[in-house]
Amino acid sequence: MSTISIDRLSKSYGKCLAVDDVTIEIPAGSVFGLLGPNGAGKTTTFKCLLGLARATSGEVRFGGQPLTPPLFESIAYVPERSVLYEWMNGAEHLEMQRRTFARYDVARAKELMELFSLDPRKRVRAMSKGMRSALAVVMAFAIHPETLVLDEPTSGLDPVNQRAVLNLIIEAAAQGATVVLSSHQIGQVERAADHIAVLQDGKVILAGAVDDLKSDRKIVEGIFPSETIALDGLRRDSRIERLDQSGRILRLTITADGGGLAETLSQMGAQSVRIVDLNLEDIFLNAVSPNMQTADVVEAR
Amino acid sequence: MPAIFTVDPRSGVPIYLQLIEQVKRSVALGVLAPGEQLPTVKQLAVDLTVNPNTVARAYRDLEHDAVIETAPGRGSFVRADGVAKQTRAATDVAGEAVTQAVREAKSLGLSAAGVRTLFESALARWFPEEK
Repeated sequence: MSTISIDRLSKSYGKCLAVDDVTIEIPAGSVFGLLGPNGAGKTTTFKCLLGLARATSGEVRFGGQPLTPPLFESIAYVPERSVLYEWMNGAEHLEMQRRTFARYDVARAKELMELFSLDPRKRVRAMSKGMRSALAVVMAFAIHPETLVLDEPTSGLDPVNQRAVLNLIIEAAAQGATVVLSSHQIGQVERAADHIAVLQDGKVILAGAVDDLKSDRKIVEGIFPSETIALDGLRRDSRIERLDQSGRILRLTITADGGGLAETLSQMGAQSVRIVDLNLEDIFLNAVSPNMQTADVVEAR
Repeated sequence: MPAIFTVDPRSGVPIYLQLIEQVKRSVALGVLAPGEQLPTVKQLAVDLTVNPNTVARAYRDLEHDAVIETAPGRGSFVRADGVAKQTRAATDVAGEAVTQAVREAKSLGLSAAGVRTLFESALARWFPEEK
């Protein structure tokens, strides 16, 4: 069990800078969610993390050490795009895994195949997208990995099997494994992850513990008697990250406890003051497209 | 056995705070009796499908608040310090509810006197014997 440090990692493909000076610390035993729009650099970061792509600059360390073959034995990777062989069946893939990983557990593999109702004799060619995802997950968890790198592991799975994968992640984390996870389904990350980073255009634009990000960010909304609101004092307030006014409504996105500012708005003459909690999706959208966030909040209330 | 707690991961309220609030409420209501064992961190994380470190953080804070105690190798238990602690947990839970209600009333434009009238009539309704 070791901390994974990604230190000033950059990766370019020709002129395209896919990962741009990324520094992330993944605490040992945590479930770390990597979020970001398509093309943000998540998959490239994973490949550099695992040594499957050579970083242009920067480095990755596992517990302070570079990645070595013995360490690789304890890492399971579920890639975004299936690397299964079309002409092979489930049992043959598991046999391949058994020969590669000393930690492979036959009984565990059987149990996992049953969990996802997979037929070991079925060829990949005949499998649905969901079955392929499930087989990749079975192969990953059958080696009792200490580190799991999961790139969209639940894509194509039905809600029951998605939940089963989340529970496997949670069980592994409870036993001390370190999990790095990407998913477009923010709700899943919100459940399983304790830390996240948001990538956009190859850069980290937000990172932290999920609970802290939620505690730290709130919207304080005040409705004033007229559209003339004295904002000068607020503009200098370092607790305020964003300030939006539309007509008589003033909305502050704040990065501190909202209590004080709610009272400030009240003293400024606001007739109504509310403190709104932000969930991970709000925080994510706010980070990747700051202007969309306001519209969403208005719609949602 | 169904989980005794529920959390809403999509809420903006951090999951560990939701758990702390629910444990305190369960203790205040006597759903969790003094000395009663709580599920292990792993068990609760799997039951609720939430991150185990988040559950562990809630348990640590509850220990710090002297609501539960953890015996190494045996698990976590509701502290048996009797009624005083439970009353304090009840005061915590009810206090937050009252604060929120007063804030709402104010934000809807009610005066302090108006809130007091509401509060008095709620008291009269729920504590008829004390009038």
